[in-house]
Formats: sequence, C-alpha cells, structure tokens
Amino acid sequence: MTIIKLINIALRNLFRNSRRTFITVLVSASGFAALAIIAGYMEFTFFGLREMTICKGFTASGGTGHLQVFMQDALQKEERYPLEFGIEVNDKLQSNIESTGNVSFTIPRVEFNGLISNGEKSISFLGMGVDPVKESKLIEYWYALDNMSSKAVRADSSFTQLKNTAPNGVLLGEEMAKALNVKKGSGLMLMSTTVDGAVNVVDVTVAGIVQNTIKSINRYYLVTNIKTAQSLMQTEKVSKIVVILNKTENTDAVRPLLSKKLNGSSAKPLFSVIPWNNLAEYYNSVIDAYRIIFSFSGIIIVVIVFLSCTNTMLMATMERVKEIGTLKAIGISNIWIILMFLFEGFFIGVLSVVAGIALKYIFSWIINNSGFMMPPPPGMTSSYELNIFSAVEFLPWISLLVMVSTTFSGLLTFVKIRKISIVNSLTHV
Amino acid sequence: MEAKDYWPNRQQWKEKNALQMKNTVIAKLVDVSKYYGNGAARVTALDRVNLSLCRGDIVVLVGLSGSGKSTLLHLLGCIDKQDKGNIIIDGIDTSSMSLEQLAPLRLNKIGFVFQSFNLIPVLTAYENVELPLLFKGLEKKAISERVHEVLDEVGLQDRKKHYPREMSGGQQQRVAIARALAGQPSIVLADEPTANLDSKTGEGILDLLLNLNQQKKSTLVISSHDSVVLDRIKSVVHILDGRVSVDTEHSPVQT
Repeated sequence: MTIIKLINIALRNLFRNSRRTFITVLVSASGFAALAIIAGYMEFTFFGLREMTICKGFTASGGTGHLQVFMQDALQKEERYPLEFGIEVNDKLQSNIESTGNVSFTIPRVEFNGLISNGEKSISFLGMGVDPVKESKLIEYWYALDNMSSKAVRADSSFTQLKNTAPNGVLLGEEMAKALNVKKGSGLMLMSTTVDGAVNVVDVTVAGIVQNTIKSINRYYLVTNIKTAQSLMQTEKVSKIVVILNKTENTDAVRPLLSKKLNGSSAKPLFSVIPWNNLAEYYNSVIDAYRIIFSFSGIIIVVIVFLSCTNTMLMATMERVKEIGTLKAIGISNIWIILMFLFEGFFIGVLSVVAGIALKYIFSWIINNSGFMMPPPPGMTSSYELNIFSAVEFLPWISLLVMVSTTFSGLLTFVKIRKISIVNSLTHV
Repeated sequence: MEAKDYWPNRQQWKEKNALQMKNTVIAKLVDVSKYYGNGAARVTALDRVNLSLCRGDIVVLVGLSGSGKSTLLHLLGCIDKQDKGNIIIDGIDTSSMSLEQLAPLRLNKIGFVFQSFNLIPVLTAYENVELPLLFKGLEKKAISERVHEVLDEVGLQDRKKHYPREMSGGQQQRVAIARALAGQPSIVLADEPTANLDSKTGEGILDLLLNLNQQKKSTLVISSHDSVVLDRIKSVVHILDGRVSVDTEHSPVQT
C-alpha cells in the first residue's frame, strides 16, 4: 500500500510541473527515437550491404552468392598449374546442387590471371570468367530485393553488355581502360597460362567499361565470358560454383545439407561448401566499423538522456527541499523518499518510450518517403537511397536502456536527499 | 449470596495507575549542549540543558529570537543532534543514533506541527493525514478509520478531499495537527503554530491543540511568542542564552 501511495505521489509530482516534465520527456523521447532510427538505419545498412555482397558484390564479377562450392583441395593446397583443383561441372553435379531445398540456381565462375595487351602496352590482370545470363539473373534478384532503393541510379547491367558482345567480350575497369587507351568495341589480347602450362592468347572485344564498387580494383580487374576464360586456359573446369538460395536466412540451414549431399558420408570430403559471410572480408570489416560507430552514437544519446533526466531530478529535489524535510521530520526514511524519485524517473522513462515510439515512426515515415540519397560510402562509387527499417527487435532493448537511464537519474538524488538537513529544509522557501 | 469483590481497591488502583502514567517521563534531556559554527565563530545555542517532560505535560517554550527555543524543540523532536549530553524519548536513549536511525522513532513517538503547516501540496487533506500512518504499516481499514477520526476531531471531515492550496491557513494548520496526532504520538511538538495565522484563527488552533491534548494525554510542547499562548499555558520554560529555567504553577516539569 505504501508503494502504491509512493507511485501515486510520484505521478502527481510529474504533472505538478507539467512543462518541465514535458521537456524532459521530449528530450528522452527524442533520444529514444534517435536510437531507434539509428537501429533502423543500421538494420537497413547491414541488410543492404549483406544483400549487395551476396547478389551484386563489389567487383564487376558479381556477388558471393549465398554459398560457394569449391574442391576441398583448392582451399588447402597450392595449385601447381591453373585450375588444378577446379571443378568438373556436369549435369549430375549441377542438378544435385539445384535439387537441394531452398536452392534457386547456380552460377559457375573461373578465376584466372595473365596479361592484357593492346599491341603496344601490356598490363597484368586478375580476371573472372562468368556466365553473363546467370549473373544477370543474380543482379535481377538483387534489384527485386532492393525495393527500398527503387529510385537509386542504376546503370544497365554490365552483364547484358557482355552477353551481347559475341563471341569474346570483356568488361574492363575504368582505370584499366584508360591505361590501355581503349573504349567500347576496341580489340585487345588476353594472355594466360593454360592448364598444361603453355601460354595462350585470345582476342577479345571491349564489351563495356565498368566502375567496380571498390575503386582500387578498377585498375587491374576484368571480367569475361566463362567460355572465353575456359578457351584461354584450355579447360572445361570451373574454379567454383556459386549457389543462390531463395532467402539469405536459409544459408545456415542449407549449407550442411548441401555439403552432405555432395560428399555423402565420405571420410575425406571432395567438396567444401563455404557460406557467403566467410568470403565477405569487405562486408565483415565494414560491419565491424559500422557497429562501433552506431554503438558510439548510442552511448552519446543515452548519456544525453541520462544527463537531461538527472538535471530534472536534481531540480525537482531542490524545489522540494521543504517537502523532503517535512517527510523526513514526520519519520519517513530516506529510502522511501529516494524510491519516490526513482518512480518519477521510471515514469518519465515510460512516457518517453511511448512518445519515442511515436516519434520514431513519424520520422522514419518522413525519411523513407523523402527519397533522400546518401553519398557513396568511403571507397565506394554508388550512392543509395536512405531508408529506415522498423528495427522492431531493437525496440525492447532501447526501451530498457532509456528507462534504466531515466530511473537511475532518480537514484542520483540519493546523495542530495541524504544531505538535506531536516532543520534547514523546514524553513526553506 | 453476596458476590465476592475480587478487586476491592479498583478505584484506588485506577488513581494510582493514573498518577504513575502522569509521572511517566516521556522526554528527558541530560546536560544537553548544542553549538553552531566552529572556533571563534562558535555560538552556544543550548548550554547544559536538563529537562524532564512527563506524559500529559503542556509546556510552552519562551525566549527571545535566537535564544535556542527552536533548537530545543528540534532536539526534542529528534530532527537535529545535540553536541553533548543525552536525550531520552519514551525510554529510548537517542544519543548514539543517527537522524536516519531516528526516523522510526519520529514516526511512532513524535508528532510535529510546523509554523508554515508544511503539508505535501500534491496530497489532499485526507492523504496528508494518511501518509505517516501508511509508513507505520497499519491495515488499510485501520488507517481509514483513524484518518476519519482525527479529521473529525479537527473539524475538517468536509474538507478531506481538498488540496492544501484550496484551504485557508487555519484549515491547513488543522490538517497539520490531524497529521501530527493521527499516529497517537507520545509527544507533540508545535513550532509557533499560530504565528502565520490571524489572532482569531490562532486562538482556535490553540484551543484545538489543548483540547486534543487533554483527551489524548500526550505531551505537548509549544514554542511561541504569542501572548495568547502564554496566557493559556501555565508551564513555561524560559530560554535565555541557551540556558533554561522553568516557571510553573502546578506542572511537574523539572530542570
């Protein structure tokens, strides 16, 4: 009953100075909304970056897919010649993979390197042989997922250009094209080592000049049709098979199934199935950096909420010195009085959470409908449309954080309340 | 057959018991001194004060401003600590206890009436009176009965739902008296209870305090400059430069 009365007094005290309570709640609610919007933006960024890594990637050769199938030896041993540990792709293997639950399709890729020459100048390159039809499908998959950036500036898929440039098209990075002084339609030569160790040359045509998302790659990276790469290396093998699932969330579930399906119960597995996040160094480093930035912003906001609320509580204590003295004089212990202030802090927290949720959704709606374009992140070339996700799973934690900080601001009055002299406070004006 | 009287001296026992009750010491100050400030600036507010107050005593503390009467009242009320000496309230030696440790003693044994009423502004008259009782851990029903009883006694039953701001000074002081008496304290301390009231209202408040004291047989200590108070109360404790002297007609107050 005593607690109920204290809660009652705390609530009445809140409404006694309604303007101050309103301002404190507004500050705390803004803090809540800011944290929730940061969480929503973080969720959007992580989602966008994840799906971009999987579907589009940061180079012209496309995304990582959800899973990649390698020969086990390719990951453990050094190759003595190109594609020594490549995969012999056949219909059985392909259908084996594609018949696994939640698998949408597969894409073969060939990694190779060598020299590219315009006849006068040669530059070393890292290349990727891709199936432009299937890669285009993956890009479309990304666009379908990426419904939040429908207004984003999108270049025509470079894979379409590659597909349309028969027979030996090649996509060059901007820097490489500049260095070789070529433009779309120009003829070039690719030189590389075959699987037998001989040197081979194929003539290629520039199908397009692309901007890789990571700028530094533009200088040495090229993409060509998988058939071109295989004819250059004189092999039918591929370096890896990229597996696309219907949903990223199914990655962890499909991986062991696929691995089991490919390797059976063999003690020495032939294939290795690697999930996308083990292959996404750039994604992982960006996520780590973003987490630190977002956490730091969150800490600053919580500190502001805490200080604002503490200020209110201390002001309330100063204003109510006479009352506190009276309560002490009639025999009410400090602990009860402090509890009353804790309840006040707690109710400020509750009001802030309610108002904060409303503010969060209002601001999120405004931002999501404003079509605001964010500048490209450091090291990247494309801008993107700002979007705030609902981040519902973060809201209970943010609510807890705000309520703990407002409640504990009441606890800081403990020192002040303990120090208040009963005799002096009774005559306090 | 004539019924045997197993308690032949009932009246005598009652009288003896009443006398014993009357002579029960409620508050005792032994060589109590209180100082303010330090070093050369040290002021002696109370100097080796010895005073005993018995149950039912009505005492008025009189003295010039700064003489130490408020200090004495504060020490009796356990809201301040003496620098020397011992204070015993209803058999409890308070000397070694901190003000926080004395909170239960204040809650259960002492009632305060302040000059400026000191009601909690966010609480109604009823709730102000109810507040100390809640912290005493009484049953809801007992609290309700007790609050209604004391509000009735101070004549504010019809104002129980009013907030302090909705009441006159006299009414607020009545609520303060009801709050002080609700817990049936051993000693009621009133610091200039009529000072903020007009003479007629002040007289009414004094009547109320004296009447209730007579009914409850609690010890009442009033600090006052008011001549009306001095006229009505015969036991006067004079305080001058921190020393006390008792001017009493028929009071057992001892120094």
